[in-house]
Amino acid sequence: MQGFKNKLYQYETPPPEEIWDHIADELTNEKVIAMHGHRKNKFLFYGVTAAASIVIIFFGSVFFKKNSSPITTAKRPAAKENQLLAEKIKDSITLNQKILKSIINNPQEKREIVSKESNPNINTKKYLTVAGPEGQPIKISPKVATLIISADNEYPPKPVWSKEIRKWQKIMLSSTTPPTSANFVDMVQLAANKEIMDND
Amino acid sequence: MQKLLYDRFSSKMYGVCLRYIENPEDANDVMQEGFIKVYKNLSKFRGEGSFEGWIRRIFIHTSIEHYRKKVKLFNVTEVAENTIEDDNLSALDSLAVKDILSIVNELTPGYKAVFNMHVIEGYSHKEISQVLGITEGTSKSQLARAKGVLKKIIEKRFGQTESK
Repeated sequence: MQGFKNKLYQYETPPPEEIWDHIADELTNEKVIAMHGHRKNKFLFYGVTAAASIVIIFFGSVFFKKNSSPITTAKRPAAKENQLLAEKIKDSITLNQKILKSIINNPQEKREIVSKESNPNINTKKYLTVAGPEGQPIKISPKVATLIISADNEYPPKPVWSKEIRKWQKIMLSSTTPPTSANFVDMVQLAANKEIMDND
Repeated sequence: MQKLLYDRFSSKMYGVCLRYIENPEDANDVMQEGFIKVYKNLSKFRGEGSFEGWIRRIFIHTSIEHYRKKVKLFNVTEVAENTIEDDNLSALDSLAVKDILSIVNELTPGYKAVFNMHVIEGYSHKEISQVLGITEGTSKSQLARAKGVLKKIIEKRFGQTESK
């Protein structure tokens, strides 16, 4: 009984010669494939690493930017607001000066002021709108406009009283009569008449 | 070194392939595939058992894998195992190996695999069930049926009808 089993177990027959050629070819290709595969894996590894680094850097920068933005906004307001305020003041001063100069130097405005002074019943422009210290519109009378002029580069703009006001001060100081609201105009008129007479 | 190994074992392994795979072209493919596996897995041989036995197992498994791609083995209803005694196959002893092989090759791939693995290689039904992905009962049934088929072939060829 063991005879056929042994015969089959030990059965051997030479394979076709081309089998080794195929095996040799396949082994060579395997080496090539393996080398290519290794290189491919190497490139793949570096590629994935580079891509991952870029992604991490991108998201990291976004994250830090997002997180640091409140800090910067907290740090910046002082400088930024100062800058904005300075610009606003500069604009305000420039605008004020421009408006006031235009009012003061405008002959029509002067005429209106004079005519109003001489005849209060004439319905002339009651108020002029000028830019305030914060850039807000402020209504002032044309008279006040002729009396004040804002100082350069000062905030809030300080009105510099004109010579006329100083003259009034002198009149009041030199007057022997104590100035009151009732005699104020009389004293001014008196001083003005005296000045005219002196000039003549 | 690879060529030396091939020269040393190729004839024996080709014999193994032809026992499992009747078609020479398929046997050639298995030979090629089997030796590539041997070369790739040489480092895994731990020296436990004979080197030839290790290579033989690789070729048996490769042969099984090859025909499993083509033949689906189904679990079949168990039949009384070993109803055909091995002695009924004793007529094969007197035959030349090629004649034996031609008779065995008349078995279907499923029967042939179980017959070869159990009777020739000495695998247990448990091992066969694991390799072929079938139950032990199916392995036993396949073996019994394979022996029955072989008996009929032998009777047909040699008019040997007597059985013990």
